[in-house]
Amino acid sequence: MRFAVAHKAATYLMVGSAYVALVAGGGVAPAIALAGLVALIASWWWEAPHVRLERWTRLWTAGSILALVYSVVASVLTADFLGVGAQFLVWLTVAKAYNRRAARDWQQMYLLAFLMLVAGSVLNPDLTYGLCFLAFVIASTWALTLFHLRREMEDNLLVKHAADRASERVEVRRILESRRIVDGRFFLGTGALSFGVFLGAALVFLALPRVGVGFFLKGRAGLTLTGFSDGVKLGGHGVIKNDATVVMRIEMPSHYGNRDAPEVHWRGVAFDRYARGQWSRLNTSPRTQQTLEEGPARDRRFLLWDGPARPARAIDELAAGLVRQDIWLEPLESDVLFGASKPRIVEYAHVLRPRRSMVERNDEVRLDHASTIHYTVWSELAQPSPDELRGSAGKLPPAYRDYLQLPPEITPRTRELARTLTAGLTNPYDQAMAIKAWLGNNLRYTLVLADPGRQEPVDFFLFDRKKGHCEYFASAFAVLARAAGIPTRQVNGFLGGEWNEYQGYVAVRAGDAHSWDEVFFPGAGWVTFDPTPAADLDVLGRGGAGWTERLGRFLDTMRFHWNKWVIEYDLASQLALFKQVGGVFETAAGAAKRGVVAIGRSLYADWPIWLLAATPLAGWLWWRRRRHQPVFPRLRSRPRPRVPVSQIYDEVARQLARAGAPRDAATTPRELALALTARGAVAAAPVAELTELYYAAEWGRRDDPAAEQRAAALAREIRAALDDARRASR
Amino acid sequence: MATREPARLPWWRRYRPPRRLSFTREGRLIVVLSVGVGFAAINTGNNLLYLLLGWLLSFIIASGLLSEMTLKRLVVDRRPPPRVFAGEPFLMEVAIKNEKPRRASFSIEVEDLVGTTPLDKRCYFLKIPAAKSQRTSYRHTFARRGLYTLSGYRVATKFPFALFRKSRDVTAPLEVLVYPARVPVARPAPRTTARGDTTTNRAGRRGEFLGLREHRVGDDRRDVHWRSSARSGRLLVREYEDEHARRLVIAVDNAMPEAVREAVDDGALTPAFEVSVAAVERAISVAASLVAAYLELGWTVELCARGCHIPAGAGRQHEAKIARALALLPYVADAVPFAVLPPRVESVLVIPRTVAAAGRPSASTVMDV
Repeated sequence: MRFAVAHKAATYLMVGSAYVALVAGGGVAPAIALAGLVALIASWWWEAPHVRLERWTRLWTAGSILALVYSVVASVLTADFLGVGAQFLVWLTVAKAYNRRAARDWQQMYLLAFLMLVAGSVLNPDLTYGLCFLAFVIASTWALTLFHLRREMEDNLLVKHAADRASERVEVRRILESRRIVDGRFFLGTGALSFGVFLGAALVFLALPRVGVGFFLKGRAGLTLTGFSDGVKLGGHGVIKNDATVVMRIEMPSHYGNRDAPEVHWRGVAFDRYARGQWSRLNTSPRTQQTLEEGPARDRRFLLWDGPARPARAIDELAAGLVRQDIWLEPLESDVLFGASKPRIVEYAHVLRPRRSMVERNDEVRLDHASTIHYTVWSELAQPSPDELRGSAGKLPPAYRDYLQLPPEITPRTRELARTLTAGLTNPYDQAMAIKAWLGNNLRYTLVLADPGRQEPVDFFLFDRKKGHCEYFASAFAVLARAAGIPTRQVNGFLGGEWNEYQGYVAVRAGDAHSWDEVFFPGAGWVTFDPTPAADLDVLGRGGAGWTERLGRFLDTMRFHWNKWVIEYDLASQLALFKQVGGVFETAAGAAKRGVVAIGRSLYADWPIWLLAATPLAGWLWWRRRRHQPVFPRLRSRPRPRVPVSQIYDEVARQLARAGAPRDAATTPRELALALTARGAVAAAPVAELTELYYAAEWGRRDDPAAEQRAAALAREIRAALDDARRASR
Repeated sequence: MATREPARLPWWRRYRPPRRLSFTREGRLIVVLSVGVGFAAINTGNNLLYLLLGWLLSFIIASGLLSEMTLKRLVVDRRPPPRVFAGEPFLMEVAIKNEKPRRASFSIEVEDLVGTTPLDKRCYFLKIPAAKSQRTSYRHTFARRGLYTLSGYRVATKFPFALFRKSRDVTAPLEVLVYPARVPVARPAPRTTARGDTTTNRAGRRGEFLGLREHRVGDDRRDVHWRSSARSGRLLVREYEDEHARRLVIAVDNAMPEAVREAVDDGALTPAFEVSVAAVERAISVAASLVAAYLELGWTVELCARGCHIPAGAGRQHEAKIARALALLPYVADAVPFAVLPPRVESVLVIPRTVAAAGRPSASTVMDV
């Protein structure tokens, strides 16, 4: 590749990767981002001598002043300094790309690329930033190396000295067009270097102590999902879409998360009040009972549910018997944290403290977060047995009366249905199961919504429409259960998720949003009831086996790692990593120590065998040493490479040996030449001349092409003379 | 027999770091950016800024490692031209060999050192392929005659990113003898009646060894001087002195008043002293030019000065011998006598016009310059 083209291509790759890193996060308006990209690509051809750049200088200067004024005004008016600054950066980069003249312009392009990368670190915390960063590292290594060489050429190779004439200027353009300076090996070598730089960057990144106290990632707007919301409103019409956007990734033991395991209910928000087709929370409903432990790195909350408070040691013991989930949650419109039902312990970074004004009810856990958050949950997945629930007895706590609330608009036929379904059943469990069974057997699941109009939505669902989605099933169950006197609340969250076999985690998508119910049994606590028909529960499924699905899961794995190891890498992760690395070293050291001890013991116990094995080896080494041969030939220094004239002389010496004039070890080449001359041997004169050339080349270290040519000519002459002599002797 | 320990370096040289680093403008910028990004990362806790900081630091480390690899196993050879004259530019040839068997070296700078100061412009090598050598040269002018010692050379590189200039000083003394400046002179007409031996004005056969010259077609192979040919890489043949050459003595007065000599030694020349020094230098230059001119014509030339005498001789080697003597000719007091000029031989005495001195010999021609 021509030098100038290689340099330009590397520079454009570097600037382009930084540009994409900046705009891919959505911090720059899409129209501006696209226009900037097109302009940047077009600038490839905008350079001297095709264009007289100086003609356009004023126009670009005026444009830059306008862009500056606009940016100042816009940032004052919108207070979005970062977004407006990013747009101005885009303008500056494009303007500079159209004004590439001297080394300084290239340098400014590199600086702008770096600034774009810095701005992108705030505006784009997505995986795209990581990919662009990788491209930037590779391209910047190429671009900066080539730029350095180019500038050095321009600075140093402008004058060529000559002894016999005046010094003359060298045409740099000619060198820049050369294809000999950079080749494939250069790019491979610098590519390997950039890989090393990337590894070094990763190591430094992991090792730098995380002592920061803030979190400056620009808050992303929460994902608006079809399915999950921090509130339930029945009614409306249309078709619910199955959004496959991943909202949550959960690392958990594979026997709980894999495709064959029962689907997990990821509990989020819970509602106690139903009125006019909407679920909400009463101001009087029970607050989430919990104990909080604050640590230097992590805070831990123990959710009591309806049980008593416990000391810290008891909580640790409890955690050992629960199912642990490490969860990376994308920012949603809601600040609720999810966990497998039912969550007991929630742990998160100390810096992520909840707002003081935040009120948590119905055993919800809330934590405000504007970006991806990592936290750990320990849950009880096992439910009490039916017999245990049938036998549960006790008094309903007064605060729990809210879970029996029903609005007056609940129709008599709904209440009558509840009575009918539970008639003759003596315990709440059987009653709840009867309601669930009736719903599953008589109503159908659909994502197509029909507007109930002024009709009470649950009544419309139960008696007229007779089909609906999970919120209808859950609401109908709650209303019927409450009508039957069973304390119930509606829960929103997610169900199941896609099992990622590459990394072993569950990817929960927006389309996995789900509604179900929790029924309170005095003595046994809250128990999950999911009235939606089982066959229709998981529309998105647990993940297909086709190549597109697998590719999707692979990309999601990368995103997961990006979030886990880069975005959410904090002091706790760092300590855990160091501990892990320390453990590896400890294990290796232990193994080495055990090995040494075992060998020592074996030497002591089986010394005759060792002696038998070592004797031949020692003898061989001694024999090599006696013969002055190196014990380890490969460790010998490499012989000095023979110069071309010496190689020619070697060949001639072999021919002379074949012709009956060998040179023994005690004879120097010059003595051989003298001996040949003295006895008037064939080709003695050229051999003498070649011998002197050999001395000059091999021992005088003269690198002289003329001598090589002369030596080759002499060798031909000697060979011809020897051939003639051989023919004559025949 | 007593054994001598190898000479040890003085302690300050032993503890001097083998490499020197000086930051370039780009290097300083990268350091400032690293500090800024590091501060922002710690202050905000933004992990992507930590990633950028990691890249910047890794970039600097990689730059240091690569520049080290670039400087390794480079062997420099400087070759001055055979004759260097004061006041005339010459080309110093600088050859560099990359002894690394597989890796090329890029962007190498080489500069000669006088003490620790670079002599002149640095020589630049864009790319030295693996196991190859390249050569270039730089133009330099020594203003005065004398023996100059270049203490060594400095190999430096800014490769790969021009963040800093890493250099290595190598002690390799190189002596450059600068002959007196060449000046155009008119050869004085012979004035003595006794003109010495007769001349034939050409090289003869089988006289005294005169010197070496390049082999020409037709030369006797017996005259090839194999050892010198091997050294130079060119075929050289012996030349013999013509036994019937003309003979001339050139005398130059190198006497200098004591005050001026002391000022020269102290490096504190006054304008008046500088005039004296310039006059003596001019006289020496004229003498050297006369020697060259007469030897070119095939004369046998003898040099006389105070404290210096080069017996008669001819040929290029003799010219080099006299030029060397004149290059190193010191200023002496006029108490130092001249060597006795041989009688009945054409002689030219060159004296500096503004410097008075006693004990000047009588010559057939006196040039007051």
